[in-house]
Amino acid sequence: MRGHVSRWLTSAVVIAVLLAFIPMGYAQQKLKVGFIYVGPIGDYGWTNAHDVARRLVEQQLPVETLYVESVPEGRVEPFIDRLVAQGAKVIFTTSFGFMDGTVAAAQRYPNVIFAHASGFKRARNLATYMADFYQVYYLNGLMAGALTKTNKVGYVGAFPIPEVKRHLDAYALGVRAVNPQATIQVRWLQDWFSPPKAKEATQALIADGVDVFAFTEDSPTVIQESAKKNLLSFAHYSPMYKFAPKQVVSGELVHWETIYLDFLRKVLAGKYSADNLQDVDYWWLLAEKAVEVGAEPGMMINPLFVSRLKAATVKTADLGTLSVYDLVQRRIAQMSKNPVAFDPFAGPIKDRKGVLRVPAGQTLTVAELTSMEWAAPGVVGPWPGEP
Amino acid sequence: MRVGPSVRQLGPFRIEVGQPSGAWTLAVSAVAIFAAFIAAGGIFWAYGVNPIHAYAVIAHDVLVVPGAFPEIFRSTIPLLLTGVGLVLAFRAQFYNIGAEGQLLAGAVAATGVALFTPIRGPMTLPVMFAAGFVGGALWGLLPSLLKLRLNVNEVITTLMMNYIALYFVSWLVTGPWRGPSVRGFAYTDQFPLSAWLPLIPGTRIHWPTLVLGVVLAAGCAVLLARTRLGFAIRVQGENPEAARYVGINALRTTLLVMLLSGGAAGLAGVGEVAGVHHKLLDPNQVSLGYGYTAIIVAWLARGQALATLITATLFGLIYSSGDVMQVSLQMPFRVTSVFNGLILFFLIGSERLLAYRVRWAPRRAPADPPASAAAPHRPSGEEQWE
Repeated sequence: MRGHVSRWLTSAVVIAVLLAFIPMGYAQQKLKVGFIYVGPIGDYGWTNAHDVARRLVEQQLPVETLYVESVPEGRVEPFIDRLVAQGAKVIFTTSFGFMDGTVAAAQRYPNVIFAHASGFKRARNLATYMADFYQVYYLNGLMAGALTKTNKVGYVGAFPIPEVKRHLDAYALGVRAVNPQATIQVRWLQDWFSPPKAKEATQALIADGVDVFAFTEDSPTVIQESAKKNLLSFAHYSPMYKFAPKQVVSGELVHWETIYLDFLRKVLAGKYSADNLQDVDYWWLLAEKAVEVGAEPGMMINPLFVSRLKAATVKTADLGTLSVYDLVQRRIAQMSKNPVAFDPFAGPIKDRKGVLRVPAGQTLTVAELTSMEWAAPGVVGPWPGEP
Repeated sequence: MRVGPSVRQLGPFRIEVGQPSGAWTLAVSAVAIFAAFIAAGGIFWAYGVNPIHAYAVIAHDVLVVPGAFPEIFRSTIPLLLTGVGLVLAFRAQFYNIGAEGQLLAGAVAATGVALFTPIRGPMTLPVMFAAGFVGGALWGLLPSLLKLRLNVNEVITTLMMNYIALYFVSWLVTGPWRGPSVRGFAYTDQFPLSAWLPLIPGTRIHWPTLVLGVVLAAGCAVLLARTRLGFAIRVQGENPEAARYVGINALRTTLLVMLLSGGAAGLAGVGEVAGVHHKLLDPNQVSLGYGYTAIIVAWLARGQALATLITATLFGLIYSSGDVMQVSLQMPFRVTSVFNGLILFFLIGSERLLAYRVRWAPRRAPADPPASAAAPHRPSGEEQWE
């Protein structure tokens, strides 16, 4: 058995040495950057957005990129091994579930730079980064509150985790800011990508009387399903306008490349190294242009709905009475400043049980935002882990 | 099913039909795998990768790159344990499709011990394995009782039990077992260090589980070949009527088989949570479909417990090759499934051939050529077909 294996190894080595010369022909000195994705690059959501950014980075910077898709959580470390063996000097791991594996790999490879999306553990060679949507969801909520006729807006959520709860709460606060009678009906899928479950949830919400939809699921299913009944929806993560040009109002778009370009430029300039990332945490929002309001890049609001949004008026404490359309524009302007002039989670905010969650005059810290568990007023439906 | 070899003559070849020998099985399977490689090479070529270059890169990066070779065995471990258990069940003609659920049940039981009992120190891991075995065995018990008492088809019940296990784990990690330290994500807390399986230094192989797998494979081989229970299992599997006639207790045999089969899958679950994840998490991440892949592992082992050592390693190798194709050749992850599928397609396609042995045995030309030489040519050997 042993002799057998070593003969195998020997012949493999011989073949490998012979063929090692082939790739050497175009070996480059470019910085090699590896990306580890949790889903398939064609998922039309999270992973696709990271991959679009990866390709932009490769166009704009003198780097070479490698990627691996659909990596199970328990296998992130072996894949990091393989990327390092391929010569990767910077590795981005793009899912929360990769956190512990990335931390372990950062210890094993102290000279490799790591960055982990959506996590909270850092090290001297491990940074964290996140492009977050809560402001955009709030803006979508303002529009949804003005457009619902049944006073029931729907939300198809992936997992009841703080990230999704934060987005849902921001959306609900937006809806209620315009339409205090409206409720936000929730369905959970327990899946990031599941068109069949999304379809079922959408149909259930339609049966409940919901007429405007938002969601967290990496396919355009909710949009397509609600459009069959001519109901309105907000795109999620990718440009989904084309799936229902008459029903998609707006949505959320991400630009991970803003973070990747900034990070890698600093690596190339020698500003970031495998020694000084302990406090590097990107929490990038509208002001950094890491996220965008719209169902299509450059199209903030579907022109079909502009007149209806201009016709709806709303009374606000700080801006007086104005149209919802103007309110959205003003809020975007306020949140595009750095520091922001408005935050959706500005107190006083009580949760749906009446517990004060944000005291008057305060906003939430990033740590509070990323561990949010409570449900905003107006949210109707199951809420696992509700405090 | 034909009993005893029958012989046909086809031109100069003599074809014997009967039970395949081990060497013949290996030879046909090797040819099938080779054929799959050629077919997969066609896909590489269509994708724009030189197939020879691709296989060289795969061989190099799977076997030679430091630290890569042991990775093969990481997916071998759960497949081996689960596969051995399934071989046992299949030998008794109990079609256990529920190994995935039994694996998850084992993982849950082990997690319960690691996080919610005061057992700490060197006793933790043995207790976790024991609990995992019991968990998996109990999960397999219900379908076997339903089968024995109410004659409910076990394929359906074991399969359905998988979904119950899946949703149960999902509920645990999003509900009562969700860890306070994971910021609302769907995980339990990390296990205490005493519940982490030791690794072979420099690798990620949790060796106690591997040893368990090898021991279990050997033990099951002995059980099937040399013990009274093994005899009962074989007789019942091959002819239940005969088994009843000679007084073999079907209830007892099936129950024992299912306890062992489910228990083995449960052990695999313990290995995954204690050796890889160190926590309980989303069920689709706990097991990467090992319970289903193990069905193929067991099937390819053709009822031989020891052969799972080879078939489980083969799958470890296939998985590892798939990883390399993704990283080193930058191919899409689906290529692994395609590669996998091609190998299975050819292996299963060659199944029919196993029963046939072809020998070179030209018939002597008759001394006196008949006048029919000028007659229309008949397919040679036709007269042998009646």
